Amino acid sequence: MSVRLTDVRKSFGGLDVIHGVSMEIPQGGFGVFVGPSGCGKSTLLRMIAGLEQTDGGKIEIEGRDVTAVEPADREVAMVFQSYALYPHLSVYDNMAFSLKLARAPKAKTREMVHEAARILQLEEQLDKKPAQLSGGQRQRVAIGRAIVRQPKVFLFDEPLSNLDAELRVQMRLELTRLHRQLGTTMIYVTHDQVEAMTLADRIFVLRSGEVQQAGAPLELYDNPDNRFVGGFIGSPSMNFLPARVSGSADGMITCSPEGGEGATQQVRLSGELPGEGAEVLLGIRPEHLRVVEGGLRVRVEVAEELGDVSYLYTRMPDGREIIVERHRSRENLDGATIGIEADPADVLVFDGDTGQRMR
Amino acid sequence: MTTTRRIENLIMTGLTCLGAAIWFFPIYWAFVTSIRSEDRVVSDEAGLIPDEFNLGSYIDALFNTQMLNWYLNSIVTSVVITVVVIISGMMCAYAISQLRFAGRRLLYVVVLGSFMVPTQALVVTQFILMDTLGAINTWTGIILPQLIVPVVIIVYKQFFDAVPKEMREAVVLDGGGEYSLLFRIYLPLNWGITTALAIVTFIMSWNQFFWPFLVVTTEDMMTIPVGITQVNDAFGVFYARLMSVALLGAAPVAIAYLIFQKRVTEAVMISSGVKG
Repeated sequence: MSVRLTDVRKSFGGLDVIHGVSMEIPQGGFGVFVGPSGCGKSTLLRMIAGLEQTDGGKIEIEGRDVTAVEPADREVAMVFQSYALYPHLSVYDNMAFSLKLARAPKAKTREMVHEAARILQLEEQLDKKPAQLSGGQRQRVAIGRAIVRQPKVFLFDEPLSNLDAELRVQMRLELTRLHRQLGTTMIYVTHDQVEAMTLADRIFVLRSGEVQQAGAPLELYDNPDNRFVGGFIGSPSMNFLPARVSGSADGMITCSPEGGEGATQQVRLSGELPGEGAEVLLGIRPEHLRVVEGGLRVRVEVAEELGDVSYLYTRMPDGREIIVERHRSRENLDGATIGIEADPADVLVFDGDTGQRMR
Repeated sequence: MTTTRRIENLIMTGLTCLGAAIWFFPIYWAFVTSIRSEDRVVSDEAGLIPDEFNLGSYIDALFNTQMLNWYLNSIVTSVVITVVVIISGMMCAYAISQLRFAGRRLLYVVVLGSFMVPTQALVVTQFILMDTLGAINTWTGIILPQLIVPVVIIVYKQFFDAVPKEMREAVVLDGGGEYSLLFRIYLPLNWGITTALAIVTFIMSWNQFFWPFLVVTTEDMMTIPVGITQVNDAFGVFYARLMSVALLGAAPVAIAYLIFQKRVTEAVMISSGVKG
């Protein structure tokens, strides 16, 4: 394992922000910490970097316990959200900074900086100051500064959030390429689940200082452990409908959504079936909803036509919003009242009280 | 431009010119006096217009007084004060701004507090202290009490506080310690304010009269502002010579000011809180 956290804890002035997190990221893996603001993802990353002290537990990098090791000796490099480039130094000097501090031979420094600049296509920019560069170039310099250190682990703290949408997509691809090229372990923090899905080979969904679920992107998308993960991963997000179980037989339950005026939805479950009358929460992804005759009646408030995909923003009679995704549909449903339903195998069921997944 | 606006502008220009003339007149008068002979200065015919170009008083000031010694004393003490004040102020501000240690806030309150104590209130104690140290009539005696310039610490702290935290963390991850941080990042990032503070400190110590006047009693150890008082002799006041010494004494500061005008204005605005 490249990075292993065992029961890691952190509190600020009596307030616990990281509650015993344990995780493993394999050698050469790309782990992404994702979660809403204040979930502790950046704190966790900073603890791995050594910029925050650890109040409990153990952090190991390539088998070495680094919990009490100084940041510079952990063999990690970090790319900050604000890039943290030294504005008075040229691109070359920014990238060479750590080597100069370590008094590396000049020839070696030059070779390493030029190699990093070649990888990141920054060779033409080496004499410029950060202020003369575009946002994307600055970001690359920050990554170059990290590469030059030849770390065992790269840490990225929301590095793309200062870029515009187009550049973000481009940098995302470059990061994936870079990861493949270098083969070094990377840990990436973001609140953007699209970034998480596209970059990670292992996502850690965090909430209130706890890992809600860890796994491969599609595993989290298809099989969320709880309502929070289901709602957080996927865009547009999963529809949630409070419902009551009205019947169950042969691995199938029949649910009546609240405010659904008698409409029912069949759900297939492999485990123990909830009893009749149980309160559950149905989780249905927008792309799993079909427009049908009958089904749950909703009114289309807004229809967004994007060409290959259209999103119908609909409301149930009780005002609850449901998003429906349709592919290659040319039918104008704006303002129409339609019926919707999902395949029983595509509907996820969560416990009405705890939000835990019922399988 | 409307007529009212034009009249307003005209009045404002007139007032500004009048202010400038009032401010400039003493310097002009000093210059006119300094290029006259002593007899001419006190004669009834001496008017506002320069009517003589006599550099005798300048030659006299430079070679018949201890002027060159005073220059040396002023230069040495001002340069030492500037260098020490800037380096110590910067390091102190860095510690208060960036390091976490017990009593940090108290230390800052003490610095702020010392800013509010007028130098005159400390003169007697400082004089006794310098006497005890045997520093009367020495450069050390002139320099030591002038090394306390809390405003330098306060201004530096403001600027160090504004450096993004990530920059510090990046250096820490790159393996840099506090000295690398201060001298490779914080100082170069604040080079502008450093030069501005250095110029203001230099001008302040060059113009300092009160303390050097007290601590120096022998003519050869005097700084220029104190030396000027020695140009009179038992036979009366030599106006031309007095004015030429005054102009020669002010010249280095005036030249420095003209060269670094922009930075000085910036420093004064920052230290007086107009700009932060």
